[in-house]
Amino acid sequence: MKRKNKYFSKTILYLLLIVFTVLAFAPILWMTVSAFKPEGEIASYPPTWVPQHPTLSNFSYVLETFNFLRWTLNSFLAAIIATIIVILIDSMAAFSFARFHFKGNALLYATVLSMLMVPIQVTIIPLYLMFAHVHLLNTITSLILPTTGNVTGVFILRNFFRSVPQDLIDAARIDGAGYLRIWWTIMLPIARPSISAVAIITFISNWTNFLWPLVSVNSDASRTLPVGIAEFFGGQSGVSGSAPQYGPAMAAALMATIPAIVVFLLLQRYFVKGITMTGIKG
Amino acid sequence: MKKNLRLSIIPYLFLIPYLFAFIAFRFGPSIAGFFVSLTRWNIVGTPKFIGFSNYFELFGDPSFITSLINTLYFMALTVPALIVLGLLIALLVDQNLKGRTVTRTFVFMPYVIMSTVVGVIWMWIFDTHFGILNYYLSFFGIKPIAWLSSVNWAMPAVAITTIWWTVGFNMILFLAGLQDIPEELKEAARIDGASNWQIFWNVTFPLLRPTTVVVLMLTLINSFEVFDQVYVMTGGGPSMATLTVIQYMYFQAFQYFRLGYGSAVAYVVFAFLIVLVLVERQLLKKVGES
Repeated sequence: MKRKNKYFSKTILYLLLIVFTVLAFAPILWMTVSAFKPEGEIASYPPTWVPQHPTLSNFSYVLETFNFLRWTLNSFLAAIIATIIVILIDSMAAFSFARFHFKGNALLYATVLSMLMVPIQVTIIPLYLMFAHVHLLNTITSLILPTTGNVTGVFILRNFFRSVPQDLIDAARIDGAGYLRIWWTIMLPIARPSISAVAIITFISNWTNFLWPLVSVNSDASRTLPVGIAEFFGGQSGVSGSAPQYGPAMAAALMATIPAIVVFLLLQRYFVKGITMTGIKG
Repeated sequence: MKKNLRLSIIPYLFLIPYLFAFIAFRFGPSIAGFFVSLTRWNIVGTPKFIGFSNYFELFGDPSFITSLINTLYFMALTVPALIVLGLLIALLVDQNLKGRTVTRTFVFMPYVIMSTVVGVIWMWIFDTHFGILNYYLSFFGIKPIAWLSSVNWAMPAVAITTIWWTVGFNMILFLAGLQDIPEELKEAARIDGASNWQIFWNVTFPLLRPTTVVVLMLTLINSFEVFDQVYVMTGGGPSMATLTVIQYMYFQAFQYFRLGYGSAVAYVVFAFLIVLVLVERQLLKKVGES
């Protein structure tokens, strides 16, 4: 009896496992299938999960009609440069906060952390005024700089640097290494897992950032991928109220999604680490 | 002596680049926003100090009240589902089952897709005439629902989208919390004859409390700040049915160019978040005591 019961509950667990997997993946699959359907087929009834006449026309339409590659390049450049800057300046600051006794350390660090409570949306209007004032709206620079004021990077790295044994630093000091060198040749390499996590969080949050790029950029040349997709394939994009075309929209969606999913599958470990470090240990 | 002097400057040198960025792009603007909210500031022309007038106007502004109510409605639709489902899936993939890592990967996958793409995908799924959702619902005799263009269904549709998109994030956090619970504790309870259900309620769940507090807080905050999906899928419509507070801030500041008024909206959001966090803490304290 008990054994039968156990068997039964195992079956239910597996069933749930399958249901959640299917529900999570179905929309992604549906986007992929739809992207390969020709215009006539996409609205055919009943819908099919396999394109009857697969075509690449949606993709070529997107690439020919919109500055899709330019948006992608802008997003990528902004995200990669922001990530490099964040890694450098955050790890320097975190090193300082974690390993030095100096006047104001606790107060400064508390001020930095206090910004975790302040929603980022509060900064949008002042940032807009500031960038307008120095004539930097509509530039990649305006997409990069606000990211560099982030808090989580310093938080994660400081926590890590505090766990580094003091002997390591003392030994390097005895060998005559300066602090800049200790930061570069000891702290950075030893913190590689944490730095990878910070890098991924920073890259993804910049890559997917929407509100600020929407506000700060309105020229197509500096537009980012999320904004381009929202403006040309979102609900508000239909000319004079016409519905957006779903074939090209799904092709654009798929092209924007594939890099993220590939990166995620390759670096899943660091994604998870990054999330748990900002969530749990916060 | 010389060495001490150097030591006292070095930490500041390491801090300077970051502190510059932090003050210029995070701390400064956060403070400045409050002063902007005390002005009448249209993009052209000079700002005029008007005290708290923007705030007084806000609370008599029916559109703002609507956006606030909509946002709370959105939270009511998403937060419980995100917590319960996130925990449920985490418990599931924490079991010793074959293929659980596959489920974990797939459930988390939507989270790496950018918000606007998520919006576009679900617009297609929710399409009234050709959408796949209405097609499957028709099997159950349900007539086509105009998901995104009906006042009643637009917000639930956005909520479903959001749950699909972010539940994996909560799952990961809960999973990390579950894995921190020592196996011996559960084992001891099992030896004492506790059922799985009893183990969950009396061992796992109490020990998961710190995780739950964090996840709940993050979920509440993120839901309150909802903007991207709504902007893409409904633009706040139909007839303001999905207008949220952050979207109202965006409209006021960047469509009507009322920067002072928009800043006041942002600061009210900030105030609400603080209240939210305090209330959550208070409630959890009470639950903990009882």
